[in-house]
Amino acid sequence: MTPTALFAAAPLPLLQNGLMVGAILFSLGLVGILTRRNLIVMFLSAELMLQGISVSLVAWSRYHGDFGGQVLVVFVLSVAACEAAVALVFVLQAFTRTGRLDSAAWQSLREASLARSVDHEIPAIDAPLPIFPRLTPAGVSPEPDADAALQREHV
Amino acid sequence: MSPSFLLVLVPLLPLIAAIVTVLAGRRLGSRAHVPAVAGIAAAATVAFVLLVITARSSGGGEQPRPVDMVTTLWQWATVSDAYAPPADSPAAVPGTAVGADAHAARPFSIAVALRLDPLTATMLMIITGVGLLVAIYSIGYMHDDPGYPRFFALVAMFVFSMSMLVAASNFLLVYVFWEAVGACSYLLIGFWFQKPEAARAAKKAFLVNRVGDFGLAIGVFLLWLTYGTLDFHDTLSPDGTILPGILGQTRLADVSGYVGGAVGTAICLLLLLAACGKSAQLPLHVWLPDAMEGPTPASALIHAATMVTAGIYLIARSAPLYMACPGALVTVSIVGTTTALVAALIGTVQNDLKRVLAYSTISQLGYMFASLGTGTLLGFTAAIFHLLTHAFFKALLFLGAGSVMHSMGGVIDMRRFGGLRKLMPITATTFLIGSLALAGVAPFAGFFSKDEILASLHQKGWPSAHGEHGEHHASIPTLPDAATAGPTLHDVGYRGVAGHGEHTLLTAEPVGLDALDSPGVWQTLFWMALVTAGLTAFYTFRAVFMTFTGPLRVPDEAGHHAHESPQVMTLPLIILAVPATLAGLVLFTTEGLSSFLAATPSFTAPTVAATATPAVFHWDLALQGTLAAALGIVIAAVGHLGRRSDGPQLERWLGPVRPFLENRMFIDQLYIAMVIKPIEAVAYLAAMFDRSIIDRLVQGVARLPVSAGNIVRRLQSGLVQRYALAGVVGVLAIIVLLAWRL
Repeated sequence: MTPTALFAAAPLPLLQNGLMVGAILFSLGLVGILTRRNLIVMFLSAELMLQGISVSLVAWSRYHGDFGGQVLVVFVLSVAACEAAVALVFVLQAFTRTGRLDSAAWQSLREASLARSVDHEIPAIDAPLPIFPRLTPAGVSPEPDADAALQREHV
Repeated sequence: MSPSFLLVLVPLLPLIAAIVTVLAGRRLGSRAHVPAVAGIAAAATVAFVLLVITARSSGGGEQPRPVDMVTTLWQWATVSDAYAPPADSPAAVPGTAVGADAHAARPFSIAVALRLDPLTATMLMIITGVGLLVAIYSIGYMHDDPGYPRFFALVAMFVFSMSMLVAASNFLLVYVFWEAVGACSYLLIGFWFQKPEAARAAKKAFLVNRVGDFGLAIGVFLLWLTYGTLDFHDTLSPDGTILPGILGQTRLADVSGYVGGAVGTAICLLLLLAACGKSAQLPLHVWLPDAMEGPTPASALIHAATMVTAGIYLIARSAPLYMACPGALVTVSIVGTTTALVAALIGTVQNDLKRVLAYSTISQLGYMFASLGTGTLLGFTAAIFHLLTHAFFKALLFLGAGSVMHSMGGVIDMRRFGGLRKLMPITATTFLIGSLALAGVAPFAGFFSKDEILASLHQKGWPSAHGEHGEHHASIPTLPDAATAGPTLHDVGYRGVAGHGEHTLLTAEPVGLDALDSPGVWQTLFWMALVTAGLTAFYTFRAVFMTFTGPLRVPDEAGHHAHESPQVMTLPLIILAVPATLAGLVLFTTEGLSSFLAATPSFTAPTVAATATPAVFHWDLALQGTLAAALGIVIAAVGHLGRRSDGPQLERWLGPVRPFLENRMFIDQLYIAMVIKPIEAVAYLAAMFDRSIIDRLVQGVARLPVSAGNIVRRLQSGLVQRYALAGVVGVLAIIVLLAWRL
């Protein structure tokens, strides 16, 4: 009993549709990762790209009547789950360090000789941010980060 | 105990003492002198036993029999087939390579070998004897000095190096310890290195000595090329043949064993240059007066009694080499006599007690050179005789000066104190004895040795007056074999390699210098030496009168309790005063030293032995010498006896000559203008080249990667999106490229 006997090859239009969906997902993810600065959104976009690839893999798999692509997708999903756990830890750590999710908050990692990149068009904030309770400060207050002052608070 | 074991002990004991002092000096504290004094005392005892052993084995017969015992400790370095003598080299002369194929390749092998012969035994006795007294004296003199252990370690180290220098049995070892004593001298001159003058003087001594050491190094190279060995003694090669050493019995017995002509003269002059550096002869004498910045005991031991006589030792040891080169011999005398006169002249106007003694040392060393240069057995033994007596009375004078300096609170300028006779009776008496010996007053030690030196010069100047018939080169028929062989000086020089090829470098052509070896020159040298004798008496007694006579004056630095030095310092003075008084009389009347030294292998060479003359006391010369000394003392007495030493001095009558002499004939300034300034100019140019061209080049190379990095650096903006964009653009580029190629 061959795989083709159990799992018949799909017609061409089905492949085209699958690839179309995959390409759209991938492009959305790519645009998201290039334009958004929120670390979690960037992570989501990366996942989106991954899923786009997975969809096209499944489409090719159906087209060829072969399990290989789908098996690969199962692996991709499990790896993506692990990677999500690790990546979220990074995001969390980044947030506890800077208090923000803005990836530009880390631009102090640039070459010292380069100028700081500054946001010129800061959109107005519609609603005031809720005031969270803060612990009584203890110890020595850290040096104010000159980079941070110029960044948006709510990205 | 065998003599060879004893011989090893002499240097070994001070070496152990030095090592112990270095390792445990701090812990020993004020007892840091114990290892050094004990080690040197033991070495002195052993040296005395060796002297007796040597005297026993050489004594007896009419004809001196060469005495040398060689102890080979270990083989230092061996290179097989290092030397293949060219067909016409003197090493290939039949008879020099005994029993061996003269043209066979020979190994270069250097053994750490010590020798014992009369010359070495005498030198060892002087070194350890004076060394012991100086070490005892230093217990008092260096008391409370922060560098107390360091001083004794250095003194013990010096005694070790100097003993090795005179006991070494090959030229390379001599060179090694020549440098070692130089290093000890450097360290002791700069003992108080916090004092800028002391540090500068140490540096100067070291650098000036380098010039001489350079001569020794080149001389040793030439000796190796010429003779194919550096050993003094004959050695056995592995195949059982005898390799004749430079001063070995085989070569000594061979009248044509030594090279004359240009090469021989070059070797001798290079060795003379070395001797001039170490023994402070013109023109390399400038370091010795400055060396007085060191502690006085070190000056007494190293810069008066022992180290500075290394040059005399070297030339005396190489006597057969010099005998083949009459031009080099007379150069030795000319250098010596000129130095003696010049240093004595400068010494007459110095006001620093130690500097007077320093110039006196240079002058007396010049005497010894003058005597060596006569190239007679009398001259060689007289030089060693004077070396011996000088070691005693000059050490005595230096230690006396140190005693004065000690109680005057470090002041040594004679114009600032006077009349110390009553304050320091022992120092004054012993200093007077030393001065009488130095001035050459009978019957003190210096009288006899100086008389012998004058006699040796007189003999060359007026050969007929000394029973030599006609030619002053003619050999005196005291030794039958030498007389039958009839080797005159020139024969030996010229015959060296003649007839063994046409090699121009090694053929013994007469050298221009040989023309200087004429009675006229020798007569001039004799008169110069006689004048020097008078000057010596003058400056010595000028110092005595300025320091010890006149009204009692003490500088403020001495405090209120200026007193005679402690017993540990006066005892060596008293002990040294005995040989300073008696050594000359005893050794001259018994002829003990000259007949003892005549058994030294170097002096048994036919060329040297042939010049032996029966010892006579020359009444006329003694009278001339004594008259010169008396005249000097009288003038000194007229000028300084009982006067205040800070008053106008007798020397003001010298007029414009006085500043010339006071500034040491401007020789230092000459060196500054001719050597130091040009070198500084070259150094400045080199520094400029280094800074403006080489450094710029290096920095330019270093800037290349920096500027390349500046271009790439802009990419690292710290914004993740840009990095991602760069990745996307890259992937697109790859896709486009692939699509295009497909």
